[in-house]
Amino acid sequence: MTLRQAQAAGSPAPGARVIVIGAGLAGLSAALRLAQAGRPVTLVTKGAGGLGLSQGTIDILGYAPERVARPLDAVASVASEHPYASLGADAVAASIAWLRDELGPELLVGDPAVNLHLPTAVGSIRPTALAQPSMVAADVVGGRRYAVVGVRQLKDFQADLIAGNLARSTAPDGGPVAAHPAWIDLPARPGEADPTGLTYARAMDDESFADRFADAVHAAAGECDVVVVPAVLGVRRLGVWRQVSERVGRPVAEIALQPPSVPGLRLDRALLAQVKAAGVRVIQGAAAIGCRAEGGRVASVTVAAAGGPRELAASAVVYAPGGFESGALDVDSHGAIRERVFGLPLSASDAFALVGPDFWAPHPLFAVGVLTDADGRPVAGAEPVLSNLYAAGGLLAGAERWCEKSGDGIAVASAVRAADAIIEGSAA
Amino acid sequence: MSESNAKKLRERLNNELKRASLDACVKCTICEQSCPVSAVTPLFSGPKFVGPQAERFRDGASVDHSVDYCSSCGTCSVVCPQGVKVAELNSLARAVLKAEHGVPVRDRLITQTTLMGKAMTPVAPIANAVLGNSAARKAMELVMGVAASAPMPTAHGQTLRGWLKKRPAPTKAPTRGQVVFFHGCAGGYFETEAAKCAVEVLEFLGFEVLVPEQGCCGLAEQSNGLFEQASSSVRALVGQLRKPGVGVPIVSTAGSCGGMLKHEAHEILGLDDPDLLDVGRRTRDISEFLMELHDAGDLPTDFAPIAARVPYHQPCQVRSQGIGMPAADLLRLIPKLEVVESGAICCGIAGTYGLKKEKYEIAQAVGKPLFDMVLETNQGVAACDTETCRWQIAKSTGVKTIHPIQLVHQAYGLGRVEGL
Amino acid sequence: MRGEDVRTLSADVVVIGGGSTGAGVLRDAAMRGYSAILLDKSDLAQGTTGRFHGLLHSGGRYVVSDPGSASECASENAILKRIQAPAIENTGGFFVAVPGDDPDYGDRFLAGAKATGVPASEISVADALRREPRLNPGIFRAIEVEDASVDGWQLVWGAVNSAKQHGARVLTYHPVTKIDVADGAVRAVHCYDQRRDEDVVIECSFVLNCAGPWAGRISELTGLPPVPVIPGRGIMIAMNHRLVNTVVNRLIYPADGDILVPVHTVSVIGTTDSKETDPDHLPIPRAEVQQMLDAGEQLIPGFRSARAVHAWAGSRPLIKDDRVSSEDTRHMSRGMAVVDHLARDGVKGLLTIGGGKLTTYRLMAEHIVDAMGEQLGERRECRTASEEIPYAGGSSSYVVTHRLHDREADRLDDQIVCECELLSKSMFTDLLAEQPTSTLDDLRRQLRLGMGPCQGGFCGTRAAGIAVSEHAVDADRATGLLRLFLKHRWIGLWPILYGDQVRQTALDQWIYSGTLDVEHLPTPSEEVVR
Repeated sequence: MTLRQAQAAGSPAPGARVIVIGAGLAGLSAALRLAQAGRPVTLVTKGAGGLGLSQGTIDILGYAPERVARPLDAVASVASEHPYASLGADAVAASIAWLRDELGPELLVGDPAVNLHLPTAVGSIRPTALAQPSMVAADVVGGRRYAVVGVRQLKDFQADLIAGNLARSTAPDGGPVAAHPAWIDLPARPGEADPTGLTYARAMDDESFADRFADAVHAAAGECDVVVVPAVLGVRRLGVWRQVSERVGRPVAEIALQPPSVPGLRLDRALLAQVKAAGVRVIQGAAAIGCRAEGGRVASVTVAAAGGPRELAASAVVYAPGGFESGALDVDSHGAIRERVFGLPLSASDAFALVGPDFWAPHPLFAVGVLTDADGRPVAGAEPVLSNLYAAGGLLAGAERWCEKSGDGIAVASAVRAADAIIEGSAA
Repeated sequence: MSESNAKKLRERLNNELKRASLDACVKCTICEQSCPVSAVTPLFSGPKFVGPQAERFRDGASVDHSVDYCSSCGTCSVVCPQGVKVAELNSLARAVLKAEHGVPVRDRLITQTTLMGKAMTPVAPIANAVLGNSAARKAMELVMGVAASAPMPTAHGQTLRGWLKKRPAPTKAPTRGQVVFFHGCAGGYFETEAAKCAVEVLEFLGFEVLVPEQGCCGLAEQSNGLFEQASSSVRALVGQLRKPGVGVPIVSTAGSCGGMLKHEAHEILGLDDPDLLDVGRRTRDISEFLMELHDAGDLPTDFAPIAARVPYHQPCQVRSQGIGMPAADLLRLIPKLEVVESGAICCGIAGTYGLKKEKYEIAQAVGKPLFDMVLETNQGVAACDTETCRWQIAKSTGVKTIHPIQLVHQAYGLGRVEGL
Repeated sequence: MRGEDVRTLSADVVVIGGGSTGAGVLRDAAMRGYSAILLDKSDLAQGTTGRFHGLLHSGGRYVVSDPGSASECASENAILKRIQAPAIENTGGFFVAVPGDDPDYGDRFLAGAKATGVPASEISVADALRREPRLNPGIFRAIEVEDASVDGWQLVWGAVNSAKQHGARVLTYHPVTKIDVADGAVRAVHCYDQRRDEDVVIECSFVLNCAGPWAGRISELTGLPPVPVIPGRGIMIAMNHRLVNTVVNRLIYPADGDILVPVHTVSVIGTTDSKETDPDHLPIPRAEVQQMLDAGEQLIPGFRSARAVHAWAGSRPLIKDDRVSSEDTRHMSRGMAVVDHLARDGVKGLLTIGGGKLTTYRLMAEHIVDAMGEQLGERRECRTASEEIPYAGGSSSYVVTHRLHDREADRLDDQIVCECELLSKSMFTDLLAEQPTSTLDDLRRQLRLGMGPCQGGFCGTRAAGIAVSEHAVDADRATGLLRLFLKHRWIGLWPILYGDQVRQTALDQWIYSGTLDVEHLPTPSEEVVR
């Protein structure tokens, strides 16, 4: 049967696979879910996904707008245009639990129903649902005393600022927080004054370096309940935090830094490895640039490759390219917002009308995105744009994700929804 | 190059649209996270630093020599989520640096891979003896800065053309049309085995394989900043590959050289010739070509099993072509063959980078995770698509390293890989 | 406590306004032996000088429209390149005619240049395009001039440091509250030390009101009939990289958006001209942003696809000129206006300055201090043109490669705090030690912290943290400084939130809000505003 005959008959062309566009949390989750169900999947991505930029935790809902203690309860009360509204708290809970179990307790721990409260690298306190086991000892509880240990060579962890701000904070339970700074002087590589957290994390993959680090921290920390350090506790070797805690003799927890974010990288590597082990074909350096549609369905996705575009025959598509930060949602110099690959209808079209002078106010621009039906298919009016095209992650309209700390939950839940809809064959 | 020529080169490269891709950089550090060189040495501050970041400060004289530590592996461009042409920016900066400060004689010699092949072949045993002789190599290191321990090609007694001429004519009549075969310098002179296997597999599948006279693609010259020479090499090659006719797929076993034709000559040298673009469009890495057949349902998959575990490494300049990992996908069609992807970014050789005295240790450090993985997983053989990477892996691990097509060749019953 | 603690100082002359005019006047007065104190309500060069185009005029712009200005610019251009080279980059300039421009203007330009002594020579279009490949390939004429780009803060700080070496004093964050006039003469200036919450009285015999767009407000503080100053607002947009390395002007009678200036690592397109009433509130209207992008597109095809990284509005201090309607500010004379309050109001010891341009700041200062001397009945010689202004880094001209060169040398020994602008930690801590009460913006103006593509996304936290570690501030104030820094950056971002910059802003928000949760830091006991 030729490609054309197959499509006319309504069945996917020979070699047609589910195409997942995007290698962020949503894309990787969707690809894994689909591959586990036995579907042939190709994941295409322009570059590396954004997990390596994230703090390595799974945020479900942190502020609504007040601080949230029980995120699933808050999910159940979101406004109707919020992506969580059509997903529902049960689906969110189930999909987060699935991801946590897939990655395992060496990578993610926590209960989706209850937020942890973790200190940040400026000394704020941020709610999150699941965190890495290397972080949870820092959960801010009234009466806790922190030693904030910085490394002189590491500019992205300013221990004096962090400790100073924690010390003037109140814990979420109303109790006091005590914190003092301390410093160690430990180059990651000889002759280098400006390493990143990743330079340290790579050095910590070596056990003897991790021991030296622990010894230095132990000597500097002083009286405290918990020692917090920058997130440098290994990148390939996941047991570093345990080794260091044992050697220091007190709970040691790491705090995520601005990019390069080591905990984010750990999640990225692990999820990518699982995706590949499940048989997904991953094509990096292949930006999706369009599609060929026939009979109201995507027949193939066009990707840019060296030498010229390639057509990838598609049985279904999960489109998870991110939002404004990845350029999937683009604003031109006249302020017109558009979605770059499929030209999908968006919740708003004029960017300049959606930003204003007050930096601390909400910025409705960043809640602009694609509207979908209950299965996650982008819609024009009430109808799906293409019957086998699904959207997931930061592309979805209705939430300013970093303000409310909801991006990860939206990504995973919408990815699982899309994957399950394809698996269950609800595509027309 | 004279100061005025350097200035002209800078003027040509300055403010051109390629340079403008630096605007897409949002400083996210993803490129730096993946850079194999900055991971092993602080001497190189990373691709973001020497690429889109430093480029905003460049006008006139080249002041940052550390860009020369970039190995041009191209990983930064592939992983950039914003489409910054990081590797291309670095290559341009290096070209300007070389233009202003001169290209060492050594770099000019190393890049003449075709010449080396032609010169070495008739006297292969002697050439090999010299290249294998450590005293001679030490002398080379002192005089030319070619690292004494760096892997060097082994010359063969017979070229590919020689084999094509002398072999019995293929008995099967072609059923599928023509392909042009691009073998690259290694395939032509140093490492003809992979090229021979490719020709036989393609003929087995029913293609008529045309092998025009062909020269060097210029990649080595380009990565050493010799842009004029690289341009004339690639233009000559383009003419040669178009000779058999247009509309014919061009299939290659020279992994990295395929990338030169597909995009690097355009992106880095700035060549816009319609002929080059035509060749780029038609070029396929052989694994890519076979997987396209497979996805269309047109590849016979009655392979004989190969019971072995083979580490496979995809060279950076194949990964940067945006085709995924077709060699691994292809090899996984062979029953009993366990393919273990290296997970490594770069073998360290990066074309000619690792041959240089001052870069040798960095190159070996870059390749170490790969070498360790190969040592751990191999059962006698490793696979990789680019010849310089194969030499680097073989030299650094002692493990025989072959092109993936050689396994496909065996699985189709056309021959046997020694040592498997 | 206010009202209780009053510090008293005295000086021959009080200079009000720390922009280029005030700084130039301070230096000149101090060099002539006057004891002088400069006051500014905020940081130096926060007004017009901090919001201009970055252009050191060759005079070419004025050869037809304002020949007097043209000659002045030409001679001062040469003088400043000699005495203040480190603040100036010798980019050179082009005047280019694009399709549709007046074909005769080029000849009038060349004639005017000859008549006014502005160096100018015609070059071939091919030559212009070879040197600036991004230029509109349709240009039909090109003339080369000696435009240069100048860092306004480096210019002002240089002049001020020179003035201090000659004994002058500088009090920033000291807004003037009252000027005492009694018995037909100026007696004292009252101001308020915002940082120490203290009133200050400066007894003096002369006040030079160099407050630019605020000069009208200052004149009101004398109790005399105020001087009418019209702030002529113009917007500018910095593009993320140097689209050109030469200043590019349109070869037309001066209009809006006809200049593109490479300044440090960016290129600045400008400007517009609209009458405002309040120099503290200068909007950046959407329509004007679009107008500037269109203007840029005329010079550089593809300009609209290039990345805009920051926008700002500055206002020209124009004293109302009865010859032209007050609505049309562009055609007011650019020449300096000096209001002598002795002639106007019968009060000795007060001059109010309006108009002028940064390129001629030294000459303006010379005229002003001469006028002061004349009123005082003495003649002291001006030496500002002959004495070089000292800069820490040496005396050669600025080149854009210099920070790259410096970081190449020290990157293994020193951290880089602002990676976009290659600002090292030592540079930051050295300045912080000299000026520990600074805000991050005060430091930014002198160091370029946060002025690159990421607009403070990656360096803001580092800077705030280092300030605590260096014991300049505690965590409470550091948090306030960081909040202020982010708030200020936003002013210039939200009007140009498109293209690559919207991606950047999204990432920056992801970091500050998503990862760091900066908005939920315990709010400072008092919001930091300076």
